[in-house]
Amino acid sequence: MISLAGRDILHGWGKYMLTGVGLGLLIGVTLSMAGVYRGMVDDAQALLDNSQADLWVVQKDTLGPYAEPSNLAEDSERPIQAMRGVAQAAGVTYLTMQIAHGDEDVRVMVVGAEMGAPGLPGQPTHLVAGRHIVRGHYEAVADVKSGFAIGDRVKVRRNFYTIVGLTSRMVSSGGDPMLFLSLKDAQAAQFQKDSDAILRQRARIAASPQLNPPGNPAVSQAVNAVQSENNNVNAVLVTLSPNAQPDEVAAAIRRWQRLTVYTRAQMEEILVDKLIANSARQIAMFLVILSIVSAAIVAFIIYTMTIGKIREIAVLKLIGTRDRTIAWMILQQALGLGLIGFVVGKIAASLWAPFFPKYVLLLPADSIRGFFAVMLICTLASVLAIQAALKVDPAEAIGG
Amino acid sequence: MADGILIENVVKTYGSGDTAVHALRGVDMAVAKGEVVGLIGPSGSGKSTLLKCLGAVIEPTSGRMTIGDRCIYDNGWKVRDLRALRRDLIGFIFQAPYLIPFLDVTDNVALLPMLAGKSNAVARKEARDLLGALDVGHRAAAMPSQLSGGEQQRVAIARALINRPPVILADEPTAPLDGQRALAVVGLLNDMAQQFDTAIIIVTHDEKIIPTFKRLYNIRDGRTVEEVPGASVPEVPA
Repeated sequence: MISLAGRDILHGWGKYMLTGVGLGLLIGVTLSMAGVYRGMVDDAQALLDNSQADLWVVQKDTLGPYAEPSNLAEDSERPIQAMRGVAQAAGVTYLTMQIAHGDEDVRVMVVGAEMGAPGLPGQPTHLVAGRHIVRGHYEAVADVKSGFAIGDRVKVRRNFYTIVGLTSRMVSSGGDPMLFLSLKDAQAAQFQKDSDAILRQRARIAASPQLNPPGNPAVSQAVNAVQSENNNVNAVLVTLSPNAQPDEVAAAIRRWQRLTVYTRAQMEEILVDKLIANSARQIAMFLVILSIVSAAIVAFIIYTMTIGKIREIAVLKLIGTRDRTIAWMILQQALGLGLIGFVVGKIAASLWAPFFPKYVLLLPADSIRGFFAVMLICTLASVLAIQAALKVDPAEAIGG
Repeated sequence: MADGILIENVVKTYGSGDTAVHALRGVDMAVAKGEVVGLIGPSGSGKSTLLKCLGAVIEPTSGRMTIGDRCIYDNGWKVRDLRALRRDLIGFIFQAPYLIPFLDVTDNVALLPMLAGKSNAVARKEARDLLGALDVGHRAAAMPSQLSGGEQQRVAIARALINRPPVILADEPTAPLDGQRALAVVGLLNDMAQQFDTAIIIVTHDEKIIPTFKRLYNIRDGRTVEEVPGASVPEVPA
């Protein structure tokens, strides 16, 4: 038996292909939306991977340092370092800000990491060019996504920093490229007050009889000194000794240091389930809407194609063609449309993904799921047309 | 009467009670193998209803219909699979050729034997042989849209004949053709009826071809009257 669907498609292949391409672009958008979500999750996981930490110690009762502000004393790391099961502990600061790059602003996450010893958690990894920060001040390592090149000088707050190294895929959970500074420089960038604020602070202290007692200027000088320096960090990143159990070490730190501690699994949950949850729901809504629109378009196209062949279907039924042969013909056409649409959509999504401002991760598993979803949608969409075809009376081929 | 088609007292009533429409009030017809008969009548006389009953497309209300030696209807269908009945025992020729536009000429004709279970190669060979016999063998690879009206009608005749059905029902097959081509098609149907031993019923309004029939049925108010062409000119509506 010849393929009626194949012959019909070949007969009007131009129109059929154009329809498939149109559907494919819609499927491409759908795949890209899924890719944007996957990219967000991957960015979040990259952030955790790149921090090289097993535990995140943050301000008590906060979801810091990525989902909520968190401040704790820099020297919190010392007692943590001394605890059983802890291999390394290092303070880290995070600050998302705009910095100038030529005539444009670049949104970056400024990361302050301890550079005292190589391999401390929080330090930049995946260096693709240049070197690590070796001087105490005014050097920076940037992610290539920022657009900076080695030797560029960037201004962060009041100071200039020279880019000495470039990393790859070191981004925040929002996809912003990271700019690494030494911890001291980053603390200055994050906590240092500007000159006007310092002047107002000094005037306020000088006017206070408690902070500036008559005849004892050393008190106000001491208060000024304390308020002008800041040794806070946003989190202490901890790596564990071999065989140490994350939950046990975390429980010990919570008990003895009265701080909040998150394991890798908990931090993933915070990032994926809390920080990007709204974005994920937004994307899920888009996926549902796009799927419905795709189904409606396929249903409309297949229905229109079928209605355009009512006379032929009546003739086919009159000369003895079985209903299942006609239904199979329509279903094959719908599936063919879905196949063309999927191939075009996959190619389109792969081609335009690099031009998205956010990372678009097209996973093969998502493509396979997408393929089956498209085929299912096309099958469901063909039901209406099949019903219409099966209702065609063979008598319509005979006049009267 | 040689085995062809025999219709006895076929009645078709649409609806019931006061709103019942009696489309056929007891039709009798007999067409022998190899014979071509005309069926004429004014619009609304029941021609199409009779054709649909004969074509097993709608069910008569009562009566009896026999094709060859096989009773297909006797106050109820005697055949379970009406599609197979249409495919194997009845050939159809329509007002317009109604060829399947996405199949080439060969496959338009070969489709029926394929549906009957023959292999593509065998079905295509039979189709090409028949197209050759109908003088359209040279257009076997063409698409229907590339054929003239006369060629399309010849292909439609080939499609009706390909399964060698004992009966062919032709619904105004010459309607789209001019006089010469119309006569040629009727001549061809006469030849085919004899060559394939097929009973052919042609429903027509076409005055040009009416005198060519040896036997003619005129249907009026749901009843058939047999007339002799030439003895009196039948009344044919415009």
